[in-house]
Amino acid sequence: MTNRPLEGVRVLDLTWVRAGPWATRWMAVLGADVIKVEWPEPALGGSTGRVVRTVPGMGANPPDIAPTMNSDGHFNDMHALKRSVTLNARTPRGLELVKKILAQSDVIIENFSAGVLSSWGLGYDEMTKVKPDIIYVSMAGFGQAGPLAEYTTMGPSVQALSGLTSLSGVPDKPPAGWGWSYMDDTGGMYGIIGMLTALQHRATTGEGQHVDLSQVAAAITLTGPALLDLSVNGRPSRRSGFPPGNRTTWPGTPVLDNYRGPQAAPHNAYRTAGGGHNDWATIACSDDSEWQALVGVMGSPTWAADAKYATLEGRLKHQEALDAGIAAWAINLDKYALMERCQADGVPAMPVQSSQDRVDNDPQLRARGMYDPASHPLLGTWPMQHAPWQMSGTPTPVDHGAPICGEHNIPILVEWLGVSREELREGYQDNTFWPRSVPIESYLLEALEHAGAAS
Amino acid sequence: MTTTESSLPGPLAGVRVIELADRIGQWCGKMMADFGADVIKVEPLGGVAERKVGPFYQDVPDPERSLYFWHYNTSKRSITIDLEQQAGRDLFRTLVDSADILLETMPPGRLPSMGLGYEVLSANNPGLIMTSLTPFGQTGPWRDYKSTDLLHLSAGGQMAGSGYDASDDPEQQPIAPGGGNGWHMGSHYAYIGTLGALLSRNVTGAGQYLDVSVHEACALTTEMHVPMYIYTGNVVQRQTGRHAGSRPTPPTQMPTGDGRYVNGGLGMNAGRMKPLVAWMDSLGGAGDLTDPKYADPATIMAEGAHISEQIRTLVGRITADEAFHGGQQAGMPWGAVRSTDDLPADKHFRARGFFPDVEHPEVGRSFAYPGAAAIYPKSPWRIYRRAPLIGEDTQIVLHEIGVDASAFAALRAAGVV
Repeated sequence: MTNRPLEGVRVLDLTWVRAGPWATRWMAVLGADVIKVEWPEPALGGSTGRVVRTVPGMGANPPDIAPTMNSDGHFNDMHALKRSVTLNARTPRGLELVKKILAQSDVIIENFSAGVLSSWGLGYDEMTKVKPDIIYVSMAGFGQAGPLAEYTTMGPSVQALSGLTSLSGVPDKPPAGWGWSYMDDTGGMYGIIGMLTALQHRATTGEGQHVDLSQVAAAITLTGPALLDLSVNGRPSRRSGFPPGNRTTWPGTPVLDNYRGPQAAPHNAYRTAGGGHNDWATIACSDDSEWQALVGVMGSPTWAADAKYATLEGRLKHQEALDAGIAAWAINLDKYALMERCQADGVPAMPVQSSQDRVDNDPQLRARGMYDPASHPLLGTWPMQHAPWQMSGTPTPVDHGAPICGEHNIPILVEWLGVSREELREGYQDNTFWPRSVPIESYLLEALEHAGAAS
Repeated sequence: MTTTESSLPGPLAGVRVIELADRIGQWCGKMMADFGADVIKVEPLGGVAERKVGPFYQDVPDPERSLYFWHYNTSKRSITIDLEQQAGRDLFRTLVDSADILLETMPPGRLPSMGLGYEVLSANNPGLIMTSLTPFGQTGPWRDYKSTDLLHLSAGGQMAGSGYDASDDPEQQPIAPGGGNGWHMGSHYAYIGTLGALLSRNVTGAGQYLDVSVHEACALTTEMHVPMYIYTGNVVQRQTGRHAGSRPTPPTQMPTGDGRYVNGGLGMNAGRMKPLVAWMDSLGGAGDLTDPKYADPATIMAEGAHISEQIRTLVGRITADEAFHGGQQAGMPWGAVRSTDDLPADKHFRARGFFPDVEHPEVGRSFAYPGAAAIYPKSPWRIYRRAPLIGEDTQIVLHEIGVDASAFAALRAAGVV
């Protein structure tokens, strides 16, 4: 029998929306007992993240399942392996119970705007009175300190403010940006990095601390070479020909760095056969030998033999004609066939893969079990996103989905924290354990009756 | 103002990491080093290939002047070892015997073929955590395929979601956002898995082997795209400067009066409407939004396109900074679309001590670097030192693992180090 790596670590999870829950998702995958404290009041915009997405084209509720607070597929994936307890931290009893959980937790994490939790009586100093060595991770956009700490961000604004958005696109068009909240995913990464690293410090010294993460700062670190080109060389990135789209240098502009890696040509996306929105493939030749191999894969067309393409300098100078020649070849091939032919001869090439491609058509992800199915109490069994690592000693499968709302109220509130069944029943009515404005879920009452019968 | 005490050890103090990593994993190693781990970068005698990547200091190409290398290798030490020679491999084994973590990015099978697989390396060091971060992992049909940052963003799904509305680009070409983020995504997960293994080892004493895939890390980093497909069958399409959607959504990247943009997407609700309209009204740009009917959430939902248009019109008259601060002070989670050029002057991040000056004694200057994403009051995350010169720490590292002066001289004479 093997344990997960963080067996025995408990996380009090006060996060919401996306970046925070994505951080605790990976703590749960690593084996921490993540207790998600929820207050499912729709007026808070779905403070628990159980919001039924109302923007058309953005949801993940299965079409044949009625939308409820337990039916969102995105939620099921994002909260896999956590436990759920419902309580109102803004009542005296709720606050007392949060502190009881805290007293037996290793980490508390939250991603509210700066100052919100302090106003509820859950600031760091208050928490250390309950648990002196608590690790308290805050992950606001601008952090807890500094003149703009009160500002509010979401993934897209973090990307905009950090310079990441302006690194995406082609000259003379608006920024293309990132077609999803990259900094919710990556803000989550820094949230868990904060937890794990502080746990290592505690393991060495016995000390907890308040980790003050700024998601915008995290995003700025991802623009490092561009920033150094400015701070060291004085070169702005707001300049002609930048950002250069998928290329390393925009045609007709000086060969300057794009901060992605080495100069290369060809280095672009090309339409492939099929005519679909994602029928594209990318090719990147980093040196002359890879280019010569590509010429061979293309069947040694006459145009490609021109001496002007023999060197990187020449290929960069004549990128338009180079790309046109490759495009004329690529358009007749399926994107996977193009990849296989290129890679067989040592030419770096990949298909542009949609979500559908990754789940259904990617043999590598399938072979690695990336979307192996897992079950959810109400939704049934669905493919789940697994960890991008295989750990030899402590495997970390995502073998079940998210908890339903309040699923662990009995084991956590009654069996662990000593709330009586009578108090829980009353709390379901009086805004302590369930919002007065939301009809109580029948499964919660059934679980309560069942717990009574069992005791 | 900085709230950290620079004399305190970092949270990973006492952890030794051997980094045999290229562009794929240098970011993971940098995080460990800036967190206070002793990260020893093993380079070939002429230095790693990343030293040849620009931009360069004063635009002069030189392996000691690569700003790309400088950024990704702060706080590390460098030792040069020729792993093509058996004596070099023996030395590498001895070095790994002294380590808690080996971070490596060699092609799958390469280290075992050199007699340096996990079983060999952990024989004398059962607590060793060995993290292999590779483009596609150690197994599967693509494991030996070549990749680049562009190719990872292509196969990982980033490009399928990023690009333009047809009105901006009739071809709707997929766009790979810049900055080398395919490697960042892989390195973030490699760091998380490795720290998980380290924390586990604190309890059990046992090391282990981690096989981490950049492709899988990228495939995990498109937020809702994959769950949306799994649960609804819908596939997103690219849109200019905002979330891709399975159906078109209104623009959120608003042009400003000074020729820039503000991202104002995702976030209108009844609570935010009133202060926003008050701010717009103070600039004479609220139009009919002052009508009391806009207090009603249902009206806000139904009139979303009209509200957005009114906001866009106002924002088009003012500067990006005015829109950003004005919107934020009215409670909107807006962000000016800034260039990296705008960042070093940012008063907020300067106040957080985010742009430390890193000394480069060789050129007699210090330069502002992007620093720590988070403030750790008791064990600071910080840049300890500029990136190492090629083999700068070879002699002292070898001394630490018991290679005396005469043995060192012999290794050097033989071209092993």
